[in-house]
Amino acid sequence: MSKQERDPLTGQLTTGHEWDGIKELRTPIPNWWLITFVVTWVFAIGYLVLYPSFATTKDYARGLLGWSSTKELAEATGRARDQQSAWRTQLLATPLEKIEANEELRRFAMAGGQAAFNENCAGCHGVGAGGQIGQFPSLIDDDWLWGGKVTDIHATIRHGIRDGGDETRLSAMPAFGEILKPEEIAATADFVLSLSDRSRDATRASLPGAALYETNCAACHGAKGEGSRDGGAPRLDDAIWLYGSSREAVIRQVADPKMGQMPAWQSRLDEATIRMLTVYVHTLGGGEK
Amino acid sequence: MATTAVIDTVSQRRPARLPIPQTVRGRYRTIKTAIAWALLAFYFITPWLRWDRGPSLPDQAVLFDLPGRRLFVLGLEFWPQDLPIAVGALVLGAFALFGATALAGRVWCGFTCPQTVWTDLFFTVERFCERLFGKGTLLSRIAKPIAQIALAVLTAFGFAAFFNDAPSLPSALVTGAAPLGAYLAIGILSLTTWLFAAYAKERICLHMCPWPRFQAALLDKDSLVVTYQRWRGEPRGKKKAALRLELNDLTALIREAASFEAGRGDCIDCMRCVNVCPTGVDIRDGLQMGCIGCGLCVDACNEVMAKIERPAGLIRFDVEGSDRAGSLKQEAVRLLRPKTLLYAMLCLFAFGSMAVGITRMESVLLDVEPQRNPPFVQLSDGSVRNDFSFRLAHRLPHLDRVVIRAEGLAGASLRFATGETGQETVALAMPGNRRISDRLFITAAPGQAPSGRASIRVIVTDAESGATLGEVETYFWGPAR
Repeated sequence: MSKQERDPLTGQLTTGHEWDGIKELRTPIPNWWLITFVVTWVFAIGYLVLYPSFATTKDYARGLLGWSSTKELAEATGRARDQQSAWRTQLLATPLEKIEANEELRRFAMAGGQAAFNENCAGCHGVGAGGQIGQFPSLIDDDWLWGGKVTDIHATIRHGIRDGGDETRLSAMPAFGEILKPEEIAATADFVLSLSDRSRDATRASLPGAALYETNCAACHGAKGEGSRDGGAPRLDDAIWLYGSSREAVIRQVADPKMGQMPAWQSRLDEATIRMLTVYVHTLGGGEK
Repeated sequence: MATTAVIDTVSQRRPARLPIPQTVRGRYRTIKTAIAWALLAFYFITPWLRWDRGPSLPDQAVLFDLPGRRLFVLGLEFWPQDLPIAVGALVLGAFALFGATALAGRVWCGFTCPQTVWTDLFFTVERFCERLFGKGTLLSRIAKPIAQIALAVLTAFGFAAFFNDAPSLPSALVTGAAPLGAYLAIGILSLTTWLFAAYAKERICLHMCPWPRFQAALLDKDSLVVTYQRWRGEPRGKKKAALRLELNDLTALIREAASFEAGRGDCIDCMRCVNVCPTGVDIRDGLQMGCIGCGLCVDACNEVMAKIERPAGLIRFDVEGSDRAGSLKQEAVRLLRPKTLLYAMLCLFAFGSMAVGITRMESVLLDVEPQRNPPFVQLSDGSVRNDFSFRLAHRLPHLDRVVIRAEGLAGASLRFATGETGQETVALAMPGNRRISDRLFITAAPGQAPSGRASIRVIVTDAESGATLGEVETYFWGPAR
């Protein structure tokens, strides 16, 4: 039954099997196919041994090469950091005021600053750094509670605001709800609201709140409401009202002031990143020279 | 045991062509050589041509500037958004190809296809090696692959030269200063050139290329193809030289006469037509997919016909079916047919659209995009600022400085984050790379900001000539009152 013979018509060998007189030509799979098949097996076994391949009851087979994607990521980020190290060194060596004058350094700082901003700052100040009225100050306007020069911004980011450290930006406003009577607070608020209205410059002094302001507020906020950045007293004569510009909002702020907080970032971010953030915030539109 | 009918596919297979086809002289060989030289010269010389575009731009006549995303062709500069023009060029190429095929068969395959040109070039070089060192000698066996690889690398370099500054590319490649893409392109193209032109040769046409496959749809009874004039060629027989007269005896004469009477055709089965064929087909089997229509067999056969003093044209360019017509002369080609006229019109249309597209290309690209987070910024003096991302690129021959102004907003002042500050207008120096992107701040004076949204137009003019380069309609937002 199983006798290989040569087919007379084609000259090929038969498989040796015969069914009802029908024979099958022996047409083995091509060698290249067979070899490829074997190679896939060799590859698969090699992969199984060298790389993490299957789970064990408590762990997984780590493979002889000890490769892991986490390690690979760490190496890649390490390489990226190495590539940046020259720029970071230059960033640390350059005086803050001179970083922006260096075109390439500025681009590097702005790219890194934007990434760091979106990661760390956008949560409060917003992705566009527009802040939120009643909550967080805008960083792209020209009003700065603690100064808008690069050195000021740098110090604010490093030490934070009312965050407890030695050098943190610290100011506090008394809650006048416990000091003044409600009608006195309302009169003070009316006077404060008039400070930013240029048309009332001449008549403002006759307002009933003028004397109250002079006694209670002018020491910090200035006689004309010009504020004080050193003391962290906001300007009252401008159009920007962090906690709202309605009469109610101002009365509330006088009676029981909100005072925002910002963490000190020096313990969370490295100095180069803080400098990048500084440059980024400074170039958003409100930076001062 | 039952008998089995076997379709023998093996013996139907053509015998492989000679390792290197024989050379031939003649009309079509001359045309083919001339076209090949012209195309090779175009390919290798074009990147070296110079074109003065001023100091800050590359002076290469044809340059694909991939990092800059632009293409320079003589006085023209193309940007990615000009891609429809490339579509026009492709459509034009396609219809020109169809038209040429309808007229003269596979002239593209036979004369101009890069595969044909490069295969021909490699054949020539391989023949040269054999002539120089002798066929099959050790020297020629060493010289051939060296020549092939050198040609392949040269070809790949020629390609890379279109994408880089050609004169400085060789030294950049040697010193390692060339971009990675240049090395990759040269590596890959060397490999494929060697693979296609030195190793695969006609196998590309026979087994890989789709173009021969739809020939049937493009050829008609009026298209020129290479034909074997069966009516005068068959049956084939050996040409016998006539015996010297004094040696002739009656039986020999009778035998000879009888053999002629038996009816030998003009084809003496010398196989010259097969031996010169770059794809190794036997044209006497009729029109077939393997025939690239190069006409070398026409030259070969005419040579032989001249030697045996028979009229030329046993194999000739003619319309399909002419092998049964019994005419020694080729039929006149009907140039004006509905099909060719249609292709000509379509070509004209594609060319016209391309020409119109090129004349209407925008020279200035202006993009002023509002930054909507936040929509506006309240400033301390009561003015309101809107921030825009501003992008400007141009391909004018000369532009040093532009002036930007905003219309539709009374008392607007403009400023760039890193550039200059202005009142109603702000000027900006255009750098050498002719593109700039910055943050543009537009500020409405106190009380001038719109309540909600207002349409404004940002207009960019040339500081020198005052000509308007571009304007963008956008919005300015103010606090709702």
